[in-house]
Amino acid sequence: MFGTQSSTDFGTPYFKLSTSESASSSSSTKTKRKTTIVSKANNSLTVKFEDIYGFVVEGNIDDVNILNDVSEKVRKQGKVWWEIEASRGANWYLQSQYSSILVGISVASFRPSVLSNTITLKKLIRKGIPPNLRPKVWLTVSGASKKRSTVPESYYDDLIRATEGKVTPATRQIDNDLPRTFPGHAWLDTSDGQASLRRVLVGYSFRDSDVGYCQGLNYVAAFLLLVMKTEEDAFWMLAVLLENVLVNDCYTDNLSGCHVEQRVFRDLLAKNCPRIATHLDDLGFDISLVATEWFLCLFCKSLPSETTMRVWDVLFNEGAKVLFHVALAIFKMNEENLWNAHQIGQVIKIIQTTTNHLFDPDELMTVAFEKIGSMTTNTIAKQRKKQEPMVMAEIDQRVQRLNGLKKLEDGK
Amino acid sequence: MATAGNSNINAKLVLLGDMGAGKSSLVLRFVKGQFLEFQESTIGAAFFSQTLALSDATVKLEIWDTAGQERYHSLAPMYYRGASAAIIAYDITNTESFERAKKWVDELQKQGNPNMVTALAGNKADLEENRKVAAEEAKAYAEVNGLFFMETSAKTAVNVNDIFYEIARRLPRAQPAQNPGGMILTNTPSEIAQSSNCCS
Repeated sequence: MFGTQSSTDFGTPYFKLSTSESASSSSSTKTKRKTTIVSKANNSLTVKFEDIYGFVVEGNIDDVNILNDVSEKVRKQGKVWWEIEASRGANWYLQSQYSSILVGISVASFRPSVLSNTITLKKLIRKGIPPNLRPKVWLTVSGASKKRSTVPESYYDDLIRATEGKVTPATRQIDNDLPRTFPGHAWLDTSDGQASLRRVLVGYSFRDSDVGYCQGLNYVAAFLLLVMKTEEDAFWMLAVLLENVLVNDCYTDNLSGCHVEQRVFRDLLAKNCPRIATHLDDLGFDISLVATEWFLCLFCKSLPSETTMRVWDVLFNEGAKVLFHVALAIFKMNEENLWNAHQIGQVIKIIQTTTNHLFDPDELMTVAFEKIGSMTTNTIAKQRKKQEPMVMAEIDQRVQRLNGLKKLEDGK
Repeated sequence: MATAGNSNINAKLVLLGDMGAGKSSLVLRFVKGQFLEFQESTIGAAFFSQTLALSDATVKLEIWDTAGQERYHSLAPMYYRGASAAIIAYDITNTESFERAKKWVDELQKQGNPNMVTALAGNKADLEENRKVAAEEAKAYAEVNGLFFMETSAKTAVNVNDIFYEIARRLPRAQPAQNPGGMILTNTPSEIAQSSNCCS
């Protein structure tokens, strides 16, 4: 399986699991996987290989071993899900509470069995959804299925047909970004892959013209396609993300929602890691320098793919507060290193190196949910409300400055 | 430590310009000597650092490569705040990107550091057959606005190192600590305008 590698024992190859899983599903991960040795120095071997979602990963032997342990854990977790299904019936998770994202139902109104399913599901999801169950569970817990059920069955097909051949500023930008979305990926870099991605993004740009197309959505939609396997499912996951899961206006005009999240995150960091927050302030490091991409790409451009998936598992079940948990965890895990950093560049390198090498999702999830104080969707909503006027004022100020500039010029 | 007559300079440089102008490609060519036909679109910004050894100084550039899409411009002040240099890039095959570059020049003139060393880069110079922006037009615009201008190609590497080195040369030299008085800025904006003769 490892092609050129034979002398080193990696244990169970990481890809074995993936091959059997993808065999039953879409063409997206059915490519032959190759491993190449990039360099061999000081006993540290660097290898390049494709992970289960078809992304090229470069890592050392330790990283490969971690990935193999992870695939073993994924297998065991799959067994746990099957056992529950055996005792509670297939699709038991369909009878749990719709996630906290869709509010309006009080916990007390549930039948005991439903409540018990909800609690079990929350715990299970934090430990990871088996890859083959992800599409179904995501559609359910995020509310995407429910969203789809409110429109005619032909909605997606009609939308795609109606948008065919139309050219808008959004479609031009989408076309520009298609080959720039995870270039080199085994499936996304094919004409089929790009055509699928295009339909999902163009379709959405017509569904919500306030969003149209925002750079970053290309990566999110690409990941959704890789997991969900069908365009229509990916489309509905994108819709529920933007319309229900994430903060309002995260991707619209001025990215004002994203600015709000940055400010909320800044306060949370000061509360959870006061020493580091002060130190970073002293260095002139603004957390947005790293966090903007996190909140717009939902970590899929920074974390290894299975780790991203684990974050999204919880994101779809528990809501956008999960992004704060994960972002805080990344800083928390690096408290000592960050304390010793004396330049902005060092801070960024520490954060980037950590995120790129978080091959073990549990390492991150444990810190994110056990070492970070709990937050509720309500407290986050309050924080956002507090920050909104400040963000709008900042954006207005810039617009006014630029308009002032324009007036000066016109008056020349 | 800097030897006598030499100084160490840390400078923040920001890259601005329309989406697809080739900002990330310019940095990648400069920092890693690489070029990718399809460069991943930048979200937020990406950070790089590169140290340049000049005859009179060692210059460490901290480079902020920003996202080009219009809606990301609301983030720009964070990246150009405190910057001592900027490269504003446009694509010579795309007039819209040149217009966008002019807007960036306006914004920096209004908001940035008045001593900022600013370069205008007409990128994709290898695509001569598709040219839409005349070099003379861009050069004239640069001269009026106190920028220095070069046409670059991240693909063929033409003028890429040159533009970064030229920025490093034009950065104000730090004053030795033992002589705090008498600050002399070697490159005032008017001097820069007069000496902007490095276009292709």
